[in-house]
Amino acid sequence: MTAFVVAGLSAREVSRRRAALLLMITLPLWFYLARRDLTGQSTRMLTLGMAWAVSTVTLFVVNAARGVDPRLRLTGASVPGIFGGRLLAMSGFGLLLTAIYLTLVTLDQDFLRPWAVGVMMLVTALVAAPFGSLIGALLPRELEGALALFSVCAVQMLADPAGTVAKFLPFWSSREIGSYAVDGGGADVLWRGLAHAALVWLLCTGLTLAVFARRLRVARYPEPES
Amino acid sequence: MNDWPLRFEAELVRLGVQPQRARQLSVETAAQAGEHAADPDGFFGPAHLYARHLVAELRAPLPDTRCPTGRVMLRLTGVGKRFRRRTVLTGVDLTVRGGEVAAIVGANGCGKSTLLRICAGLTTPTSGTVHRTRRVGFVPQDGGTAGWLTADEHFTLFGVAAGMTPRKARSTGTHLASLLAWRPGRTQPVQELSGGTRQKLNLILGELHGPDLLLLDEPYQGFDQGAYLDFWRQVRSWRDAGRAVVVVTHLLHELQHVDHVLDLGAAA
Repeated sequence: MTAFVVAGLSAREVSRRRAALLLMITLPLWFYLARRDLTGQSTRMLTLGMAWAVSTVTLFVVNAARGVDPRLRLTGASVPGIFGGRLLAMSGFGLLLTAIYLTLVTLDQDFLRPWAVGVMMLVTALVAAPFGSLIGALLPRELEGALALFSVCAVQMLADPAGTVAKFLPFWSSREIGSYAVDGGGADVLWRGLAHAALVWLLCTGLTLAVFARRLRVARYPEPES
Repeated sequence: MNDWPLRFEAELVRLGVQPQRARQLSVETAAQAGEHAADPDGFFGPAHLYARHLVAELRAPLPDTRCPTGRVMLRLTGVGKRFRRRTVLTGVDLTVRGGEVAAIVGANGCGKSTLLRICAGLTTPTSGTVHRTRRVGFVPQDGGTAGWLTADEHFTLFGVAAGMTPRKARSTGTHLASLLAWRPGRTQPVQELSGGTRQKLNLILGELHGPDLLLLDEPYQGFDQGAYLDFWRQVRSWRDAGRAVVVVTHLLHELQHVDHVLDLGAAA
């Protein structure tokens, strides 16, 4: 119950930050328009823009709740309830972005496997939510967090996808699934991308839970005897 | 049919009011709501909360009707806290029972807020032992609310965290707000509230789930004179209802209202 209420209220909270939300929703569009003439590159850039948008919005939500979370814990909420609710809301935001941009690119481009483009966007958005949470958990201020996300996304864009560095970055999966969707790669490329995404999702979710469990721990004192 | 009068009467009896008197109060209260053509639930708020409020009001002018002090709600023994090389607290002892108010006083930086966080369980003491009742409400000095959510949404969030239904949480929150002479706007986000009103919300969130022990860190910051008086009346009504209250304060003229004073002295 707590997770669903947290999810609903997190979604409302984000929807009220209209200017920031508008900028975040349109950010992937600029990435896309910059290389619209190249189907593969523009779609990959768009997907990385989505990753940046979802992870940044998640970072804002996590940081905005910093004062509320300890009180919620003290009132009786569990760490998985609090964290799970936010993750649910931000994954929903990712789903919304996927729906918007999948419609756009399928109307504007010709793809070998259009459904796989949807998978690429969805997987990237789903990975971006726990990744933004992890950055928010580790870096307490929005500016530091936003700069860290910027650095990761920039390196992800610039790194050679076949190199070692790219594989250790959180959104390498979108490159792999993109190769399957746009360039006609084999099924092994798709599965490799999905496996990488699953691993990153599990790592980010697990680490965020561990950080929050430590930060939001409430001492269990024994009941006093009269 | 609305069973508000029955629930109200049952709660009055549970709080120690004679059954005959409880029946009379219930009939009078229902009639009062009827005169305004209103549902008692909407007019007075939740039955159990209005019963508590009424009992506290009835008892307030009679000093000798105050509940005898109850079981121990908080016991600190030799509590100390160090942050790296800096010692903030050493050997703090404090026992607070139900029906008592304790004030923590001292200079800025002497560790008052740290001690309150230790009592809440949000900060671990370096030494000593803490025994504390399970149901606790904590009101921090500032923060503790989400700027983009409305007061109603805060009631829902904190109420659900405590196991209440969203509807009950909202009606309880609205009722508690009325005791502080505040009617929360339905659409106004917290960041648009004045500092004093935000503190009222902060206070209500600490009390929403009916804790046995209230830990308040200078909760009246930004209150106007009326709200300040309402606050201390609330503290007395909590005490008279058998709850324990620990309040960090720097207003020494209010110490006449408290049962224990813990002076942490100069800054650490």
